[in-house]
Amino acid sequence: MAQLSLQHIDKIYDNKVQAVYDFNIDVKDGEFIVLVGPSGCGKSTTLRMIAGLEDITNGKLLLDGKDITAAPPKDRDMAMVFQNYALYGHMTVYENMAFSLTLRKEDPNVIHKKVLAAAKILDLTSQLNKKPSQLSGGQRQRVAMGRSIVRSPKLFLFDEPLSNLDAKLRSSTRREILLLHKRLGATMLYVTHDQTEALTLADRIVCMSMGRVQQIGTPLELYDTPANLFVASFIGLPPMNFFQMEVGGDHLYGRYFTITMTPEQKQLLENYQGKHVTMGVRPENVLENGTVPVLVSSNENLGMNTLVHGHVGEGADSRITCKFKGWCDYKKGDTVQVTFNKMHFFDQQTGNRIVKA
Amino acid sequence: MSENNLGHLEAADENYVKVDRMRYEKNKTSSNLAVLAILFNAFFFVSIYKSDVGTWYYSILVGASIVYNLLFMMIAFLISEGSKNYKINYSYVAIVMGCLQFVRIFIYPRLASAATTQTTGKVEQVMKGAQHTRVILYLILSGSCLILSAAIGIKKCTDLKKHLESLSEQS
Repeated sequence: MAQLSLQHIDKIYDNKVQAVYDFNIDVKDGEFIVLVGPSGCGKSTTLRMIAGLEDITNGKLLLDGKDITAAPPKDRDMAMVFQNYALYGHMTVYENMAFSLTLRKEDPNVIHKKVLAAAKILDLTSQLNKKPSQLSGGQRQRVAMGRSIVRSPKLFLFDEPLSNLDAKLRSSTRREILLLHKRLGATMLYVTHDQTEALTLADRIVCMSMGRVQQIGTPLELYDTPANLFVASFIGLPPMNFFQMEVGGDHLYGRYFTITMTPEQKQLLENYQGKHVTMGVRPENVLENGTVPVLVSSNENLGMNTLVHGHVGEGADSRITCKFKGWCDYKKGDTVQVTFNKMHFFDQQTGNRIVKA
Repeated sequence: MSENNLGHLEAADENYVKVDRMRYEKNKTSSNLAVLAILFNAFFFVSIYKSDVGTWYYSILVGASIVYNLLFMMIAFLISEGSKNYKINYSYVAIVMGCLQFVRIFIYPRLASAATTQTTGKVEQVMKGAQHTRVILYLILSGSCLILSAAIGIKKCTDLKKHLESLSEQS
C-alpha cells in the first residue's frame, strides 16, 4: 500500500504539444482513484508518467514521500494492467503469472504459493494450465491482474482494462475489480473513458479534459455538484440537458419556457439579475405533470425507466431527454407536460458552476 | 489435473510444495536431457561421416546409419515432448533408446576401428584413436542423457501421480 503525490505535473512532448497541464493530486493509502475523460484528454499519459513509461516534463512525483520523478519503471514498485492484457501467448496462465517473479529469481516454492494465492483470489485456479488463447476476454484480463497481484506492488495502475470486453463481461469484471480492491486494500489508479466505471469503482474521480483537471471529488460530488459545464455534461447518462436562461426578478426566462425561481435559487443567482446563465437539468430530474410542454420524438423503454426524447421548442437548443420512472408508452408527436426537480446553474462566460457567494 | 484451494499449501513443507509445483510446471529437466541426447548423437554422426569413403563398412552401413540417426532424433524429440508433460511411457521408451545408444558402441565405432582401408595407398585404420574415442564418448553421453531423463521422468511422474491421488482424496 502506498501514498502517491503528484505535484504540478506537466507533460510537453518534443513537438511542443502539451498533453497534461499542472496536474495535482494526493492519493491516500488504499484509495481507488479513477481518471476519467474523453479520448485525448491526457489521462493515459498521466498514468504512463506515474508508471515511468513517459518522462515528466515539470513537477514532482512522490511515492510514500520519496521522489520518484526520474526513477526508472522497474524501481517504482508499481504494476500496470493494460487494455490488451499483454500476456505471453506461448505460456500457460501459471507461467504468465509467475513470469515477473521468475525474472527476479525468487524461490520457485515462494512463487508457487504466490501464484496459487492470486489465482484463488481471481478464481483462476482451474485455468492455470491453460494458454491465454483458451480463455475468454474476462479471464485473460483477470490473468493480467493476477500477474500484477503476485508482485505485491505498492501501487496498481489500470489503463482502460475493460475496454476490450463486451458489455456483460465488463460489468462482471468491474465488480471483480471492486472486490479485489476491497480484499487487497491496495492503492489503485484506474484510467477509463467510461463514466459508469468511474462512478461505480472510484473512491474519488479525477475528471479531465484537454489535459487539464476539471474536477476531483467523490462520484456523488461530481454527479450532484459538477464544477463546470464539461463535468456536468460528461458525468451522467443520459447527459444533462442544458438551456440558456435569463435571470429576471423571480423568474428564469428561456427561449421556450419560463420558470419561477425558488427563494434559494433567487439567492444563488442574485448577482446574475438581468444576465444570462446556463441551466442544467439531469434527465432523471425531469418529472411528468408540470407546465413545460415537451413534444415527444422518441420513447425508449428500459424496463425500470423510460427515456423520452423530445423538444421544448423549434430550435436545435430545444432538445430535451427525460428519464421517467416505470414503463411509458408515449408516441411520436405526443406532448408531455414536465417540470424540473433539481437544477444546476453555470456562468455563461466561464462555464463554472454558480455557487453561493 | 485436480484443482484445490490453498489449504493444502499453507502449512506444507518445502518438498510438498516442490511436488505441488509439478501440477503447473513442465518437466523441463527430462525434456532438456532428451534434447541434449539428440545433440550428442548429432556430434556422433558428424564425426563418423568424416571417415574415409570407399571402405566396406561405409558402403554397407552408412545408409542404415543415416536412417537410424533420423529415427533416433525423431523418437528422442518425442521423448522430450512427452516427458515434458509427465507421460511416463515416454520415459520407458527413453530407457530403451538410451540402451541402444550403448549397444551402438559395439557395432559402428568398434567395427570401424578394427577395419582397414587403402584409399591413400597405404593400409590404415578406418577410424583412428582420437576419432574413435570421441565417437564412443558421444554415444555414451547421448545414452546417459536419455537414461537420466527417463529416471527423472519416472520419479517425477510417480510423485505427481501420488500427489494428485492424495489431493483428490482430500477433496
